[in-house]
Amino acid sequence: MKNIGVVVLSLLLAPATYAQVPLKSATPAEQKIAWAEAAIKAHPDRSQPYNELAVGCVNRVRETADSSYYDQAETAIRKSLELTPDNLEGQKARVMILVGRGAFARALDLAKALNKKTPDDVLLYGFIADAAIELGEYADAETAVQWMLDLRPGNVPALLRGASLRRLYGDTGGAMLFFSQAYQQMPPTQVEDLAWTLTQMADLQLSVGHIDDSEGLLRSALQNFPGYYQARETLARVQTARQHYSEAVELLRQRNQSFPTTASRYALAEALERAGQTADANSAYKEFETSARRTINSADNANEELIFYYLARGHNAAEGLRIARIEIAKRHDVGTLDAYAWALYANARYDEAQKQIAKALAVGVRDAALLYHAGAIAESLKDGSAATRFLKASLELNPSSETAGAAREALEKLAPATAEARHTQ
Amino acid sequence: MMRKILFLMFVLSYSARPTVMQAQQNSTGDVIKALQSRVRRYPEDHAGYAGLGAAYLQKGRETGDAADFELAKGALEKSLDLLSNDPAAAFAMTQMAVVCMAEHRFDDAQVWAQKALALGSGDPSPWAIAGDALADIGDYVGAAEAYSKLESLFGSEDEKLAFSYQRDTRISFLRFVAGETQSAIDLMRSAIRKAIQMHMPVENIAWSQYQLGEELFQSGEMAAAEKAYLATLEEYPGYYRGLAGLAKVRAAQGNYKDAVDLFKKAIAAVPYPEYAATLGDIYQKIGDTQEAKKQYQLVEFIGYLSQINQQIHNRDLALFYADHDLKLNESLELARKELEVRHDIYTWDVLAWSSYKNSKFQEAADAISHALAQGTEDAQLFFHAGMIYEKAGDSEKAKRYLSQTLATNPHFSILYSEVAAERLAALTQRDDIVSQQEAAGAR
Repeated sequence: MKNIGVVVLSLLLAPATYAQVPLKSATPAEQKIAWAEAAIKAHPDRSQPYNELAVGCVNRVRETADSSYYDQAETAIRKSLELTPDNLEGQKARVMILVGRGAFARALDLAKALNKKTPDDVLLYGFIADAAIELGEYADAETAVQWMLDLRPGNVPALLRGASLRRLYGDTGGAMLFFSQAYQQMPPTQVEDLAWTLTQMADLQLSVGHIDDSEGLLRSALQNFPGYYQARETLARVQTARQHYSEAVELLRQRNQSFPTTASRYALAEALERAGQTADANSAYKEFETSARRTINSADNANEELIFYYLARGHNAAEGLRIARIEIAKRHDVGTLDAYAWALYANARYDEAQKQIAKALAVGVRDAALLYHAGAIAESLKDGSAATRFLKASLELNPSSETAGAAREALEKLAPATAEARHTQ
Repeated sequence: MMRKILFLMFVLSYSARPTVMQAQQNSTGDVIKALQSRVRRYPEDHAGYAGLGAAYLQKGRETGDAADFELAKGALEKSLDLLSNDPAAAFAMTQMAVVCMAEHRFDDAQVWAQKALALGSGDPSPWAIAGDALADIGDYVGAAEAYSKLESLFGSEDEKLAFSYQRDTRISFLRFVAGETQSAIDLMRSAIRKAIQMHMPVENIAWSQYQLGEELFQSGEMAAAEKAYLATLEEYPGYYRGLAGLAKVRAAQGNYKDAVDLFKKAIAAVPYPEYAATLGDIYQKIGDTQEAKKQYQLVEFIGYLSQINQQIHNRDLALFYADHDLKLNESLELARKELEVRHDIYTWDVLAWSSYKNSKFQEAADAISHALAQGTEDAQLFFHAGMIYEKAGDSEKAKRYLSQTLATNPHFSILYSEVAAERLAALTQRDDIVSQQEAAGAR
């Protein structure tokens, strides 16, 4: 952790020295799509340009949040597989689409099957890791990432996935190092990759309360890729951490001007509420709820947000728990475990809640909200000492987190009770 | 000769890779045969096709035959058809960038290098080609930035040394362009030490020694250049680059007979138009106009042999025509066309010289100012500048550049070394007379 400041500083300086290639107006994904379309025109009988087109479309989703590109990608892959049945690159693009659409179990199955046939393909391990991380199969993900690094030391896709795993394991410094090593290898033309990596680093910094560093990284991300929606979303959280709620609202309004996701609608509703714009907040929550409910049973959903919505603003703990159960049946990643535990807690099922939150904490993740939830659950079970420990850890980790206020309040309530308990003993 | 440096260096970057290094220990032809057989047996083997492409490129380097680049392209396209969305595809993409460099398609080379980098393979080699493409189009700052990334973050000590070698050879060129000739020479010497330490293939070590010879020759250090060229030939007997380098030294020493023999041997191995042009100049110098004419015809023949040759040798031809007062309109046209593709100092120089020969002195002066902008210590640039400024009526500048020409390398050209000395003497004498007349008038 000691070196993070240095790493961050060096990255902030990076864009200025990276200006060797003038940015073209087309984004990297648009360029990839254009090249692929030209190649299809020139060689309509070859499958590879269709695969390239599919990958370009998948990349474009990450650039824009416009999920309709997945439809185009699927069309391209169908054509590719028609021309050359079972071609590896086409199958790999299929896995990418499945991951993008949130069909993690199917993606994992397909990636593993392809990996059996082609065990030296680096990206297949990456796709296994992607799907496994989402499903909470962290050991499998770790093995896959290790394979990637063994096959090609220092490759960027492995470093990025390794960074995500390190973060999940609570190794913030290690995650920053991997992100930084990946970033340094990226060419200046890959502006979205650069911006995405900076945004991930910013998110990590924000999670440990380094607000200024986080903002610096996000400004750099927006310089690389102006208007980047992911950077704007994270920047809104930075403004929230600073209690600059109107600025957060403005950022999220800008972000939601094109291709808002259900999650980004929820973020805007929360920001409006914090900013005291109650009427707008109510309408935004309504819009979110309607949108999120449509996808409860589909792979690509906003169930995590919906659970928290019902547990807090929606005043429907039972519905929150029902949705949490749908999710936990499909995956047991840290986020889902936490949401499930919190839903159980809200329904006064404290023992079960404790078991689920313990599973999440066992992964090693260091997250202020998760620690706060653990503290609240422990407090409900009358374990004042554990509650105090978790709540303090939450505040130490990130004193400006969204749950910091609640954690402080809970801790204050606990203090006399704990003292009294000690006195009685 | 310095203008050729980048073309030579980018190919080398891949000969330093362990796989190709091993391959070079056998003859390239054998490697090609083995890889052809491998891909016949395993038609889905992307790595086999990528290796085959690299081997064709190596053959192109050895023979100078542009057709090998086409074969390389075909094999690499096949490899990328089989695998393109994986870090493992970065090698084939980088090789594709090398093909583009060989064909002087610098923008395409840049695109392929960036595509390779975008795959994030953990191998920084594409930065070398990205830098070469930038340097060749005259973006020296961008090139330096790209070369600075030629560093293995994760590789073994050997790999780190290999990248350090690649960096040194390339930055040496940039230093030369920046006018830091001694620093360029020191870096090239350091690169040679590393090449030997790494037990690189003899052709690669010889190439580095030849490059050192070129830098020394450019800076007028004839004895040291001779030593470097001899070391080149000792390392790799019969190496055409070493033969051509030594031939230049012999010509500078007035040993035209040996120079002719050496150039003939070099041309027999690889018929570069530049070698034929210089050999023709030597024949001209010793009064053998018939042989000179033959060589000059050969220059044009090679230059127009194929579409790719025209692309590659545009600038060489433009300079050749200008140097020999032949087809001057075409020379200027070729130079202008080349400037559309790149803006490096040597393209500006050729445009300046062609403009001068076409009596377009203002255009020549503008162009030569671009050529000199980096501060390069190159006798040919200085000579062209001196001649242009004389016609532009700036006698002081003309004298200064002609003096710098002779101070930098009095043997810079078979055709024009004496002209430089004569023009300087004439200008000095004329200015002295004018000064004396002015002094007399004042009295």
